[in-house]
Amino acid sequence: MEESIMIVEGICVVIAVYCALRAVFEKNTLLKFPFLNVMNFAVTGAIVLLLPYPITIGVAIAYFVGSTLESNAIASTISTLEAI
Amino acid sequence: MNTMINIILAIPISAVICLLLLASVDFFWKLPKAGGVSGAKVIGKEIEKKGGDINGGWMIGNIISSPDASAGTLLAACGYYIWGIPGAVISIILVYIGARICADKGYAGTSGCILATLVIWVLTTFAGFPPESFIAGCVIAIFFIEGISSKYASRILGKIWRRVS
Repeated sequence: MEESIMIVEGICVVIAVYCALRAVFEKNTLLKFPFLNVMNFAVTGAIVLLLPYPITIGVAIAYFVGSTLESNAIASTISTLEAI
Repeated sequence: MNTMINIILAIPISAVICLLLLASVDFFWKLPKAGGVSGAKVIGKEIEKKGGDINGGWMIGNIISSPDASAGTLLAACGYYIWGIPGAVISIILVYIGARICADKGYAGTSGCILATLVIWVLTTFAGFPPESFIAGCVIAIFFIEGISSKYASRILGKIWRRVS
């Protein structure tokens, strides 16, 4: 791997691990989501840097859209539960 | 290819560019005005309950719950890094489909993706930025918005939103 790609990959992985830990230690479920979202961004970047093939664009976007869809589903379920 | 800027210098500059780009596109589409999808609403209220700002909270909620300008910027950078302009065009199409999947009625993601493609194309072609620096830049930008403290970030975002609106 080139040096510049290694640096970018390192930044993505460090941010992903840091935010995953913050999400684990955050007690409030709804406040876990900002950290999880940052983790998803960083993991998407890491996937793209590890697998530089055209099909990876589809993989990365499928991962990212899927994760936002899940966050939205969980958060809106919580909002409906609060309304009841 | 022109002279390449050192990656250590390129990453902070591209982080600032990504931050300005995604914040201005999100402000343009009025994301802090109301929690669009129901998930965004409840996340915004929770951030306000913890001492944050409701408008900034809604914006963070919108970033989390649907692919908006921040996702568009990151995915444009990814597509451009892998395959240049065709990759970025694939990203734009897939972000558009992804926003529809997430029941997002707005076009913040698609327009952010198009704008980011233009900015990245200009800066890599004429200023010698390595394309991978924008992936790191966007991850760092979103880390500043959500990863450090959503309370203080929402206050700053809310303050800027009230000033520009």
